[in-house]
Amino acid sequence: MFVFDPYDPIVDSNPFPLYKELRDHYPCYWSEAGKVWVLSRYADVVAAASDWQTYSSLKGNLLAELPSRTGATLGTTDPPRHDRLRALVQHAFTRRNLAGLDEQLREIARTAVRSFEGRERLDFNREFSTEMTMKTLSLIIGLPPTDENHLRRQAMLCVQTDPVVKGKTEEHERAFKWINEFAVSVIEERRARPKDDLISQFSVAEIDGDRLDEREVIMTTTMLIVAGAESMGAFMSLMAMNLADHPEALARCVQNPDLLPDAIEESLRFNTSAQRFKRTLTRDVELHGQRMKAGDAVCLTYGSANRDERQFPDPDRYDLDRKPRGHLGFGSGVHACLGSMMARQVLRVAFEEFHKVFPRYRRAEADLPWMPSTNFRSPTRLELVLE
Amino acid sequence: MTTITYVEAHGQAVTVDVADGWSLMQGAVANGVEGILGECGGSCACATCHCYVDEARIGELPPPADNELDMLEDAAAPRRSNSRLACQVKVHSAMAGLIVHLPDRQQ
Repeated sequence: MFVFDPYDPIVDSNPFPLYKELRDHYPCYWSEAGKVWVLSRYADVVAAASDWQTYSSLKGNLLAELPSRTGATLGTTDPPRHDRLRALVQHAFTRRNLAGLDEQLREIARTAVRSFEGRERLDFNREFSTEMTMKTLSLIIGLPPTDENHLRRQAMLCVQTDPVVKGKTEEHERAFKWINEFAVSVIEERRARPKDDLISQFSVAEIDGDRLDEREVIMTTTMLIVAGAESMGAFMSLMAMNLADHPEALARCVQNPDLLPDAIEESLRFNTSAQRFKRTLTRDVELHGQRMKAGDAVCLTYGSANRDERQFPDPDRYDLDRKPRGHLGFGSGVHACLGSMMARQVLRVAFEEFHKVFPRYRRAEADLPWMPSTNFRSPTRLELVLE
Repeated sequence: MTTITYVEAHGQAVTVDVADGWSLMQGAVANGVEGILGECGGSCACATCHCYVDEARIGELPPPADNELDMLEDAAAPRRSNSRLACQVKVHSAMAGLIVHLPDRQQ
């Protein structure tokens, strides 16, 4: 009997065959293990992501939620509050603002790549993805220097789930609390001694003359850290994995770095880090002969929608020439990824610099260790052989 | 499904069936219409889905909210009285036959 259990380790390591079964035979599937309806087709996921009135984020967007944050972050609020909150932070992540940081991002990448010179092997995830994303985040939102590996580890724990308890454990909750406390310390420091950075501005921001709720300031700052550290870090490692596994595409990108944006977009479609997000229904919805009830949780499976051959022909091929417009690698609608321009720019710069020194690489391991998470897909180690 | 006609900058008209509830931006990018980028995925954060809605019918649409008006300032092509961000306009059956003109640049 077919079962889709979002906690099953196979969903972490290779969800794609399961996604196909869902799309073809169970397009509106009740997962008893996840206590959630699973939408897997492109058309249905886009429709749901566009309809926040019906598919609300207020009760959380993580399949296994951290209750203390719901209603106080971008991903866990609905318009109109969501739009006001987003408007306060969005300016730091626009193309225009990021363009001014290009040289600094390039310097971060060059410094990291220089430190790998002479190496024959590299854990791309731990040594480059983490370094690049943490330093970028510090630059863009104004985090003080910190132990980057420790911070990334805490961010990863925030988005992990335990397959045995089917939810968050104390370890996950402790990690979230640690990041909260770290966010609080930075917020307090920036209020006392403001700098020209996002946290300084955000920590004293107002909407219509009202100061933000302290919980909103802390939780939103926390999530900026978690999303930047983990979502982008994992995505960068997945892109490296894709290029390592497709040597023709890698060779073309090395020869012509102007192809990197296409490689990034196809990577976003093919196997992005943010695979599944939750919504909660505000009314009954009938779909594919199933009756979903108000109050039911619904899983928007972006990772499956991106492999739907009804939208993307030959979807399981990583195709550098595809130019997949309308892909859902950054989600869609009001909650579409805040960091999308940042991720595109950071990855482009990082791989341009990496390829200047390491134009050929392949995976050292056939099987990778995958982070257990009902929302994200993230290889916790990516050993590359540098040729 | 609602029929929308997108007129690309060089004059080519593309008529598309767009699912109700999708935005004009999603209708364009998912159906291969050139001239709309929608870089930010529809979150009103980039102004690369700028379009000119047929003047005869723009009054049928709900007016833009503050965040759309703010972002329209960043549009690359000249802003006109019938400028809208395509990601902020949801399609429904009463809009059948709507004509949407696309600018010659989005960046």
